[in-house]
Parts: sequence; structure tokens; C-alpha cells
Amino acid sequence: MLYREAGDFKTNYAADQQTFPIKSERWLFWAFMAFAFFVVPFFIDDYWNKAVLMPLLIYAMAALGLNILTGYCGQVSLGTGGFMAVGAYAAYKLMTSFPGMDMFSVVILSGAVTAGVGILFGLPSLRIKGFYLAVATLAAQFFLVWMFNKFAWFYNYSASGQITAPERSIFGIAVTGPSTAPWATYLFALSILFVFAWVARNLTRGRLGRSWMAIRDMDIAAEIIGVSPLKAKLSAFAISSFYVGMAGAMFFANYLGSIEVTEAFGIEKSFLVLFMVIIGGLGSILGSFLGAAFLVLLPVLLKNIMVGYLGWPTDLAAHFQIMMVGALIVIFLIAEPHGMAQLWRLAKEKLRLWPFPY
Amino acid sequence: MNVQFSSSKISTDDGLSPGETILHVDNISLSFGGVKAIQDVSFDIKKGEVRAIIGPNGAGKTSMLNVINGFYHPQQGTITYRGEERRKMRTHIAAKQGIARTFQNIALFTGMSTLDNIMAGRITLQKRNLIWHALWHGPAQREELEHRAAVEQIIDFLELEHIRKTPVGRLPYGLKKRVELGRALAAEPALLLLDEPMAGMNLEEKEDMSRFILDVNNQFGTTIALIEHDMGVVMDLSDRVMVLDYGRKIGDGTPDEVRNNQNVIDAYLGVPHDE
Repeated sequence: MLYREAGDFKTNYAADQQTFPIKSERWLFWAFMAFAFFVVPFFIDDYWNKAVLMPLLIYAMAALGLNILTGYCGQVSLGTGGFMAVGAYAAYKLMTSFPGMDMFSVVILSGAVTAGVGILFGLPSLRIKGFYLAVATLAAQFFLVWMFNKFAWFYNYSASGQITAPERSIFGIAVTGPSTAPWATYLFALSILFVFAWVARNLTRGRLGRSWMAIRDMDIAAEIIGVSPLKAKLSAFAISSFYVGMAGAMFFANYLGSIEVTEAFGIEKSFLVLFMVIIGGLGSILGSFLGAAFLVLLPVLLKNIMVGYLGWPTDLAAHFQIMMVGALIVIFLIAEPHGMAQLWRLAKEKLRLWPFPY
Repeated sequence: MNVQFSSSKISTDDGLSPGETILHVDNISLSFGGVKAIQDVSFDIKKGEVRAIIGPNGAGKTSMLNVINGFYHPQQGTITYRGEERRKMRTHIAAKQGIARTFQNIALFTGMSTLDNIMAGRITLQKRNLIWHALWHGPAQREELEHRAAVEQIIDFLELEHIRKTPVGRLPYGLKKRVELGRALAAEPALLLLDEPMAGMNLEEKEDMSRFILDVNNQFGTTIALIEHDMGVVMDLSDRVMVLDYGRKIGDGTPDEVRNNQNVIDAYLGVPHDE
């Protein structure tokens, strides 16, 4: 009864095309947003910020980026870790070269730099597809990480090879560096994610999104209806890398504060984000969030149950947690190969008819 | 049908008057290694007509369509489209110039809804760039809604209202063929290439599809080039028929002329070749 469209008539195409076509869904969304923006900041503490919310927001941003490329445009990428590293190092160079720059501009410009790098590594996609492209993007992953280790200019010749974020602020409130308030970094990341999730939705629902999906579903037919494969694929690589770059910049500057590239942006990052996209649902904005939530929250939850509640030793809990997450991924993919977004879609279809089965 | 088509919305007007030659193919030869798919074929398509290309399997019919919309590049010969001579071209540029087509094996975008598939047909007509799309509200949305209105006319025309939001992967075969016609039509093509629009259909679906093809031709004035194996359909629908066999043109003319052409009868009844 909560979720139904009876009486919810559409009288123009604009109403028919809106993101949340059903009233109760719209209300639910805005209530959730109001809670995230106006309630959570008052109760957030350092643990929730560092262990749960910041990784959730940042990985959601990265998953959103990869979903544009892999889910919407059908180009498999294993270079996400490398592109996040580009975002992080671009942010570091921007922060140290232009101390007066506010953090919002830093994140956007880091994304723009990564977009350029993404186009460069997207060039092979014009010739190769599928697994072969995945291998080509793997080259991006290894090359970029090697490059940030090799050339000391990127880490400003620091002895440790690490990069550390200096204090930068927005509207006079520090959002990077050691002395930030949890609510400040949380709200900063949430605002950027909110705006760019909306942008992603806009890009994917119009002409550009359709040209990406056309390339994904059948590239020859796409070309015959007038999609230029060059423009579609490279724009997907650019925009995807833009998002991943912003995620990398926030991962470094707002979340960890100090990183070493092989440790923070290794191949496992690429796989983690790819798993998020696959589990959440390819070609779905909501799926990016669900996938990120699943892989960020589940380990934390399992750890809390096993160590905090059952009192197991931490090493046993850590191993057990890896096994459980792995098993759950397999179970999920067998139950619904199209990801959690598809589960939600099916649930909604059932709810529309509830309490009747058909 | 009482559907109103305002000429400002869906139009295939390209400045040519009916009867003028829209496409002229001159001495085209196409081969893949040693296989000669098309040998020295010339023909023309006139504005406003339904032009059929028939022939036995492997005669080079689909290759001919592929040459016309730039998917294959002929080794010899020229193609003059709307007075402009071309030899080599990219398919997406042919699409921009007003050549749309459907496929023998359905080539829909299976992950998208019927509506999105037909909207995708209008990609060449939408102009707003990335920045406007990112902002959505304003010009991008306005443009989107204009095109939605045009697409709704096509949905109405092809009677696809009930499956507007259904992912095309779930549709039955006959409807998929119709959605594909809708997608091609959405581009408001000057020249519409149909590759076996009735393959695998039952009688009723064939009748529906024939009606749609004639309606497209009559109401939009779209020039249609059509490949089809059902001779009854071909002879009823088309104004002129070209017959290919082993890559060569063996007949060309009105349905009646072709029906009485001895070469055509031989090709279809399987008289042994002299070669």
C-alpha cells in the first residue's frame, strides 16, 4: 500500500520522464536526503565518519564513475585504481602549488586532469573490446602506479615517498588536514556526491546516455543510427575518469590524509570498485550506491558482530569476514546476476501489485 | 488511421520532388578476397518510391544495402547520393545525411526500453552538448521533450503504446521488428533501407508490416529500399524491383516486367549456369 501509482497521473512528458515518477518514492528520496544533510552531521562522530560514511561516499563516487564506463557504455576497465591515483596526485600537486585554492576547486580540477588521462587510456577502446580492452586498461593501472612511484616530482621529493594533504578549507571550514571536524568532511563529500550523482543521472537519461547504451548493446547498429563510436567511447572514458579522479582526490585529501601510492591505489582497488558496480547493478545509478554500500558496510558490520558482539579474536574475525563477504558475493550473483538494482526493481514491481501476486 | 502528422514534426522533406533520383549507384563492384559479392551493378532509387531488391540467397542484396549506407566500401564504382558523389564513407555520417536502415537479424538495443530505442533513432537530430545535458533543466530538457513528442507520434503510428516502457529484450519477435522500424523512422530519413522486414513473420504480422511500410511511404513520403523474399509482398508493395543473382544484376523494372523476365525465372527456378 505504501508504494503505488494508482491516482498518480502524468499529464505531460516532463512528468513522465522524471527520475522518481511515483510520489511515494519521491517523498522517500527527499526524506532520506534531508536526513543525510540535516540530521546526520549533528550525530556523526569520528568512528562513523572514518569507518563508515566517508568510505561509503567516496567509493560510491568511484563506482558511479566506473558504472558510466562499464555499465552504460559497456567498456570494461580495470584501471580504476590507477585513475584514482591520478586524482589523488593531481589534488596533491594542486594543493601544494596553489595554497590559496579552495578544496572544491581542487577536487573538480583533479577530476578534470584525470579525465584527460582517461581519454588517453581510452584510445585502445576504439580498436579492441571486451576482455582485451580490460587487459589494456590493466596496463593503465600498473603504468600509473609505477609512474607516481618513479618520478619524485609527483610527491614533491619527500623522503618517504608519501603524499600528505595540507590543511585546505571551503567557506573557511577546514575539510582536509589533521584538524578537521567529522561533520565538515562528511558534508563536503556528501555535497559533491549529491551534485555529481544528479549530473550522472542527467547525462545518462539524455542523448549522451543513449549513445553510450547503444554502443554497449550493439555497436554496429549504434554506428548505423548515427552514433560516432569515437565520440561516444572517449566521452564515456572522460566522464568516467572525471568521477573516479574526484573520488581519488577525496580518498586522499579528505579521507586518509596521507597515502603511499602502491598501498592505496593498487590493483585490488580496481577490482573492489568493479565488484561494487557488478554487485550493485551495471547501468544503474542506484546500483552504484547499493554496490558501494554492500562492500563498504558489510565488512564493518561483520567485524562488529564477530569481534564486538561474539568476542572472537580479531585475526580470526578478519579471515572469517573475508570468506563471508566472498561467499555473499557469489550467492548474490547467483540469485540475481543483474545486481541489487535489479532486485530493487523487481521488488517494486511486486509492491505495485501487492497484496496480489499478479 | 486518423493520426495527424504535422509536417513540422516528422518530415522527410529534403528538397527533392517526387520522381527525382535520390541515389544513383554506378558500376559498383565489391569483393571479399576471392569472393565477388557484387559485380558491376548499377541502379537508381527515385524519390518517393518503394524500390525492392530481390534475389536468391547469397546474391549480394544485403551487401548492396551495406554499400549504400557506408558499411562496406566498394572496390570500384561510385555512389551519388542527393547529387553528391561518394566512394568511401563512415556509417554514422551516412546516418547524418538521412540514410536509416533496419537489419535482417534484429539489431535493437536490448537493454533499453522501446521508448529509448526509438529516441536513440533521433540521436543525429539532437544537438545539445554535454554541458547542457549535465544541467538538464533548461535547453537540454526542452530539446528532449520536443523529440519525445515526435517519438510519441511514431509510437502512435506503429501502435506501440502498450510497450513504450518495456525493455525490448522482453518483446516478441514481431514487435521487435516493428520497434526497429520505429527506430529507423525516428531519424526522419530521406532514404529508408529495410533488410527483410518480414522475415520469420506469420501472415498477420506480414500484413501489419506491409501496411506500415505503405503508410510510411504514403504519409511521410519516405523513399524506401527493401529486401524481401516473400514474392507476393514484394510484387504488391514495390514500384520497381531489381533482381540480383551471384552479385550481378539480372533484371530491373516494374513488378510485372520482372515477373516475366526469363533470366529472373531461371535464377529462381535454378537453371544451371553456363560458367
